[in-house]
Amino acid sequence: MLSEERSKDIETDALSAPAAGRLANPDVRDEFGLETLDMSMGPQHPAMHGLLRLILELDGETVVRCDPVMGYLHRSKEKISENRMYPAVIPITDRIDYMNNMAMEYGYCLAVESLMDVEIPPRADAIRALMNEFSRIMSHIPSIGFLLLELGAFTPILYAFRERERIQTIMEAVTGARMMFHYIRIGGVKADLPEGMPEEMWKYIEGLEERLEPDFVDLIAGNEIFVARTRGVGKMTQEKAVEMGLTGVPLRCTGVEFDVRKHYPYGWYKNLDFDVVTDEAGDVEASYRCRIGEVKQSIRMIKQILENLPEGEVMGDTGRRIRPDEGDGFGRVESARGEYAVHIVSDGTDTPYRVHYRTPCTVNMQLLQEIVPGHYLPDIMPIMGLIDPVSGAWDK
Amino acid sequence: MAVTLPEGDLNSRLENYLDGFRNRHGLEEAEVDGNVVRLVVKPEVLLAVLATAKERLRILHLSFITVVDRVGSFELTYELLDLRGGQVRVKTTVEGEEPVIDTVTEIYPTANWHEREAYDMFGIAFKGHPDLRRLYMWQDHFDHHPLLKSFEISTKRTFEGLR
Repeated sequence: MLSEERSKDIETDALSAPAAGRLANPDVRDEFGLETLDMSMGPQHPAMHGLLRLILELDGETVVRCDPVMGYLHRSKEKISENRMYPAVIPITDRIDYMNNMAMEYGYCLAVESLMDVEIPPRADAIRALMNEFSRIMSHIPSIGFLLLELGAFTPILYAFRERERIQTIMEAVTGARMMFHYIRIGGVKADLPEGMPEEMWKYIEGLEERLEPDFVDLIAGNEIFVARTRGVGKMTQEKAVEMGLTGVPLRCTGVEFDVRKHYPYGWYKNLDFDVVTDEAGDVEASYRCRIGEVKQSIRMIKQILENLPEGEVMGDTGRRIRPDEGDGFGRVESARGEYAVHIVSDGTDTPYRVHYRTPCTVNMQLLQEIVPGHYLPDIMPIMGLIDPVSGAWDK
Repeated sequence: MAVTLPEGDLNSRLENYLDGFRNRHGLEEAEVDGNVVRLVVKPEVLLAVLATAKERLRILHLSFITVVDRVGSFELTYELLDLRGGQVRVKTTVEGEEPVIDTVTEIYPTANWHEREAYDMFGIAFKGHPDLRRLYMWQDHFDHHPLLKSFEISTKRTFEGLR
């Protein structure tokens, strides 16, 4: 539930209808002998994030059953990865979560490096963390925009894409690509930052810090329609969240403090000082607040990294041909959507014997079956905004 | 209604986990490696081991289930996290071309889709699963399990002789 202070902040008529009142009473249906309606939503639906089909059973406008059908964007990443040399898998991982590619590359490279005897230079580690945080901002801000777009507000998506464009310009200068970066390599990163880039980044980050409050908080947080459509929607308890195996923002918005960067630290994150952003409410509004908080933490981390950027090489010595030892390699990172883990089984040859990607979206999507029933049909889209799934990531 | 997460020193907690497993079950291998408790168990005791992890040791998070096709047998890895730095990695091997193993959805409900994926990709039947349908591939008219090593792709490449 919301704290009293927060409730007092925003007092609107919308709040007088408690969220529980929205839930369906299953007995009503039997009494009047009404039938339920089966409906298929998607895979080609204007509001859907990518290609997802929901089989819905509706009682009037209330959802009784929700059954997600996936696989419309299944590209068999795991099979493809088994048929490629280790470095050639990195561009494949880019396309798993195409909103937050850096984290996908990072997890894979960590998994391969765990099977190799290679030392990552500190500068490469710092740049990896730096680019990952930019990538997180690049994913979180549009996801807020999309949530608002689905609620009928058009302005935030424009502001969100303005920020995304600017970060993409930075990314393009550093990596050479605007989306599919292929920047993090086994043993380090592809190239050092271009001359003058740290200053450019600093300038951008300071600007973002100034714009974040007016454009993404003042404009949205107190809006009556936003509050009416998100507060109490998709509400879940901590037990439920942990039981469903949620990670990332959907878990943290219920108040469970878990962040891979903090509790299973990797790379440069061991040296950084940041907070894990949590919220009590566990609904769509709380997930929005968490994302804003995480963007602020990312800004804080980027500043810390830029202040103490170590000098030196950006690529460790991996040898000419990458051939990890036999065994199991694991890499686990915090992507913008939650815990992303890669499990590589190596048989000592040039290609992996098996690669398994644990994408946070696939696991978080199970939530739809659990929390959508009882909500109104139009509430599905805000709940999708809570999970913030990416088609490529849940289908692999 | 808050979830309690473990506290205190990581190493002593890992030892605690290891003892907890050792005292209750017959394990083939058990060791602590870094921040990971590594267990190798027989498929018959898998359910009991995971139940111990969840109910007694309060390891709440099942991260993923990896299946590896070893041609003739299947290796399953269950990765558990206590969300505070500790990991438990349980490995088991099931023999045969059409393997059957008990479902863990009763203990970890999140395993539902992990097991559906494993069934879809490898054809492993999870006994007692509430909803064992394919996750990604077609429900009908598709009799293959694509991640099996016997499922050949047309663009198979080898890198033998490459320098």
